[in-house]
Amino acid sequence: MNGYFKRKAEEYRALDGADRRRYWTDGLLNNALYILMAVFIIFTAVVNRNFLSASSISNIVTLAAASLPMALGIGGCIVLTGTDLSGGRVFGLTAAMAAAFLQNRAATKLIFEHLPNTSGGWILAVLLIVMLVGAAIGLVNGFFVAKFSLHPFIVTLATQLITYGVILMFFQINGNGGGPISNVAQQFKDMVSGPAIRIASKNVSIPWYVVYAFILVGVMWFVWNKTTFGKNMFAVGSNAEAARVSGVNVFKTTVLVHTLAGALYGFAGYVEAARLGSITAATGLNNECDAIAACVIGGVSFVGGTGNIGGIVVGVFVLRIIFVALNMLGINPNLQFIIKGGIILAACSLDMRKYLARK
Amino acid sequence: MKKILALILALAMVLCLGSVAFAAEEEADVSGLKVGIFWYAFSDAFLSTVRASLNEQLEEAGIAYDDFDGNNTQATQLEQVQTAVTNGYNVLVVNLVTSGSADAAEQIIQAAGDVPVIFFNRAVEGDGEEHTVLDAHDNIAFIGTDAPEAGHMQGKMIGDFLVENYDDVDLNGDGAISYAMFMGDAANVEAIYRTQYGVEDANAVLAENDKPELVYFNESNTDKYQLDPNGAWSSAAANEFMSTNLAEYSEANGNMIELVIANNDDMAIGAISALQSAGYNMGDGESTKIPVFGVDATQVAQDAIAADQMTGTVKQDNVGMAAAITGTLKGIAGDATMADAVAAVAESDDMFSVAEGFANKLFVAYAPFTGAAE
Repeated sequence: MNGYFKRKAEEYRALDGADRRRYWTDGLLNNALYILMAVFIIFTAVVNRNFLSASSISNIVTLAAASLPMALGIGGCIVLTGTDLSGGRVFGLTAAMAAAFLQNRAATKLIFEHLPNTSGGWILAVLLIVMLVGAAIGLVNGFFVAKFSLHPFIVTLATQLITYGVILMFFQINGNGGGPISNVAQQFKDMVSGPAIRIASKNVSIPWYVVYAFILVGVMWFVWNKTTFGKNMFAVGSNAEAARVSGVNVFKTTVLVHTLAGALYGFAGYVEAARLGSITAATGLNNECDAIAACVIGGVSFVGGTGNIGGIVVGVFVLRIIFVALNMLGINPNLQFIIKGGIILAACSLDMRKYLARK
Repeated sequence: MKKILALILALAMVLCLGSVAFAAEEEADVSGLKVGIFWYAFSDAFLSTVRASLNEQLEEAGIAYDDFDGNNTQATQLEQVQTAVTNGYNVLVVNLVTSGSADAAEQIIQAAGDVPVIFFNRAVEGDGEEHTVLDAHDNIAFIGTDAPEAGHMQGKMIGDFLVENYDDVDLNGDGAISYAMFMGDAANVEAIYRTQYGVEDANAVLAENDKPELVYFNESNTDKYQLDPNGAWSSAAANEFMSTNLAEYSEANGNMIELVIANNDDMAIGAISALQSAGYNMGDGESTKIPVFGVDATQVAQDAIAADQMTGTVKQDNVGMAAAITGTLKGIAGDATMADAVAAVAESDDMFSVAEGFANKLFVAYAPFTGAAE
């Protein structure tokens, strides 16, 4: 470690005046996002001391955990230079399904009347079902993207609309007439959104889905970095033709990336059902935009073939920190859009700058 | 391949048309009606219940109808109306997307031409525009709620509740009640009125009883509400705001939010979820219950009130709303003028009334709902 710094210091000393200036400006620009966030956090914490209290930090982590699975899924699509507009609706559909399958059996109004009683096994089975449903929609996305070389923007726009239609029909089942689906079983809530850690004296409560989200981060890190599939994904993202020539099955890789994304939306929807306890047809609207924003802020580039799981986690946290901080500063909600947009624009420009410099 | 596809498409279109034709017949006087119903968004929870009731009642009455989804876009709705007029619909029932916009309503009326238009649920005249639309045309009507009424009713309900339970609600015993307010949509007059009167009317009741006014929990937020950024009145937005609030405001810090007011039940339920994560409003008789008020009386909210997790809501009657529309449709099918049809409906039930100073504006009454036996 010491040697590393010594070497760096020697390299720096060897630079002439102009190079030294470039060294600093490059360093500042390449890390501008982190520097800005640090300034922003310090500013917020000075104005409102509660911002960095234990309960506030646990809240930020909790909010971030709720949107992590979605961003982890969509990240893969962006690595392939694509996108996924159907994410929010898949999320909405799977949330509605999870809520409907796991309603409290004693409730007066049930979407499905003949279902097993709530038990640990059934709760897990529903997770599997909604992840499969999400995966199936992802499979359709991936198939059309890979088979017909359609741009994912078009394919997922189509499946977004189709899924929304299915959602609207789902909310009409058994005379529900489009009302919210609610009354989810307490055991389900306990297992997903119930507290994993609670420190009453500090007003800190971390729900189980935070734990699940971080397990998911670990799994996805492994998939992206340590598996052939992950390596193939980056190869296809950087240059599909080159990947094909070197023996990568581009079709299979593309289909799998979208399928995996769909399964993760299913997971996110499942968590949402427990977290909110009331799902409407509008649930999930525009969620994919936040997930895409988190990815690009975290350095997953639309250029393709670049990005990492750590970046996505950072991106999700940046968005949530902004949300919480603006609230704690009592800033007008209209400004939140402007600030969010500004950050996305700045982050992407800086990201492209790195890419152009490499070229 | 192309031919087969064309054939399938053609068949599908014929079937669609056929299903319209099937719905008609029976009563002679309504068989000539072909009603287009334009909803601002199929995804809206309350309006979906109105849709279910209305569809059921129209089928029973043998009136041919079709539902259209405006998908929360005024331009889409206008295009749907234009298409419907060319397609031979002879009555339009419109749930305006841009609530309270006289211009948007006027555009719909222009597009409809001679075809009568019944607006419902979402206001056609904003503040200060009263009479500009409804008085200018004689073949239109509005059926809905008196926009400020739900806010007034919610505010009064909150005031009455607080007067009864003041010391229990005032958790930190500082003599003032701090509240959180969740607004559904910045551009919706109902939302604006509910946000305003939910607090003002509660304060009025408190003042009558020599209690101090409500205090918004976060001094630095001068808007005194938190707004769903998508304008979707969603439980997710309220949930995220509330859990963020609760991270900063708690009993331990002596600044707990002591009252939650939401523009609708969905947002109220979202806030309750956040409270439950923090150990409040569990409905188990032991945890502290923060009073939460909504509007709509959806099934979910009624269940939450029954489970002692929520305190009150304002009932908007979906069946009544549908009945008023169906009644008016029957009236104009029988050659009555729009005003006569509206008047006849108003006479048929206590919950309906013609708005003061209008001939063609019908109000469906709200009712407070706290789950107590009535």
